[in-house]
Amino acid sequence: MNRLEEMLLELKDTSEFMVDLAYSSLIYDNEEIAEEVIFLAGTMEDLSQRIQEVVIEIGMSKPEEIARIVVLIRLQTSIMSIADAAKSIADVVLRGLGKHPVLAMSIKESETTISLARVAEDSVLRGKSFAELRLSSQCGMFVIAIKRDKEYIFGPGKTTKVEAGDILIAKGPEEGVPVFKGLADGTDKELSL
Amino acid sequence: MTDQEDYTSLDHIEMTVRELLTEMKDTSEVIVDLAYASLMYNSEDMAEKVNELEKEMNDLKFAIRFKVLMSSRTKQDAKQLSGLLQVASAADRISDAAAEIVNLLNLPLERRPFVSAMLYESDEKIRATRMSPKSSMIGYTIGKLGVEACTGCRIIALKNRNGWIYDPDDEIKIRAGDDIIVRGTEDGYKRLMEYANGNKSWEFPEVVEDQDGTTPQEEAASINEDEEEGGE
Repeated sequence: MNRLEEMLLELKDTSEFMVDLAYSSLIYDNEEIAEEVIFLAGTMEDLSQRIQEVVIEIGMSKPEEIARIVVLIRLQTSIMSIADAAKSIADVVLRGLGKHPVLAMSIKESETTISLARVAEDSVLRGKSFAELRLSSQCGMFVIAIKRDKEYIFGPGKTTKVEAGDILIAKGPEEGVPVFKGLADGTDKELSL
Repeated sequence: MTDQEDYTSLDHIEMTVRELLTEMKDTSEVIVDLAYASLMYNSEDMAEKVNELEKEMNDLKFAIRFKVLMSSRTKQDAKQLSGLLQVASAADRISDAAAEIVNLLNLPLERRPFVSAMLYESDEKIRATRMSPKSSMIGYTIGKLGVEACTGCRIIALKNRNGWIYDPDDEIKIRAGDDIIVRGTEDGYKRLMEYANGNKSWEFPEVVEDQDGTTPQEEAASINEDEEEGGE
């Protein structure tokens, strides 16, 4: 992958993460998560700017690349629209307009739901990294944020270790929620590692 | 024309606002997956489905606007419902973006050879596989298997002898030779491959009783506690 493609891919991954976070901020009417969406929107703008600079550079030096670059730019425009939509959802929360109960219910009942669980002292998740846990392939739930003490960890990495007291915010299928909660609260000790 | 006739001509008018919004959110998510998958696999057919979903989204958007405006009685209603309409409009914009993405298929393939390779490296993996006759998943429905809960991979498209099914329902049965396109993590995909190849036999999920009934508001109390304490 060349530099331009890598930047575009980062843009795409961020846009999808923003949508997940935006819906999380909405289901919990949580301003801190909404703020993170706005912050990411800012990083997307910066990245977009850098992409444009690289595009101009390439266009000047290798005119034969222009046709390919047009494809990238069109993709970038769509990705930015998705990010912008996520931002407008976060904006609902920040304006205090996210309190209608139908909003939270519609997210809870959708095919990809959002749920959270506090990690108990005797949870099997405790002390393990996400790479070890592979939680998503255990119960379909993918952790998008952790609230640890008063701080948030957004988009925890593979090496991030789960600690007792962590509140994990995850997205996934409804059927995965009871397993996710069971693993976190210590009632379910079975992990297929 | 009476009022009655006027509004019943709108599609989806029988759905509640909650149902409409849920449908819009679901659609906004699957449509993006399908849009990227159509680029990855250069599938006109899948692009067609994206365009259908996008049209469907427009119908849903008008239905929800109508219902929301009809239900607003007070200033307080109007305030909260404006938030709801904003979310509906965001879901609609996401589906518009998905439709723009599939428009790229109209460009000649030689101008976008890198797109598949690039998308292959995404955080959200889109992958395809074929169901082996040896797989223990054969003959079961997607819902019975609980494919997403067991592997973290969601089947976004399936091709059987009758053709492609996009965003297949839980009732769809997996058959030998079916091609499936899934969205999930790399690890989940590897896990799914083991079952699809028949190397490992499917472990059916334990039937856990339906939810503990926690509402999102109750859940939210555990992360929003600081604000509430401040208010006391």
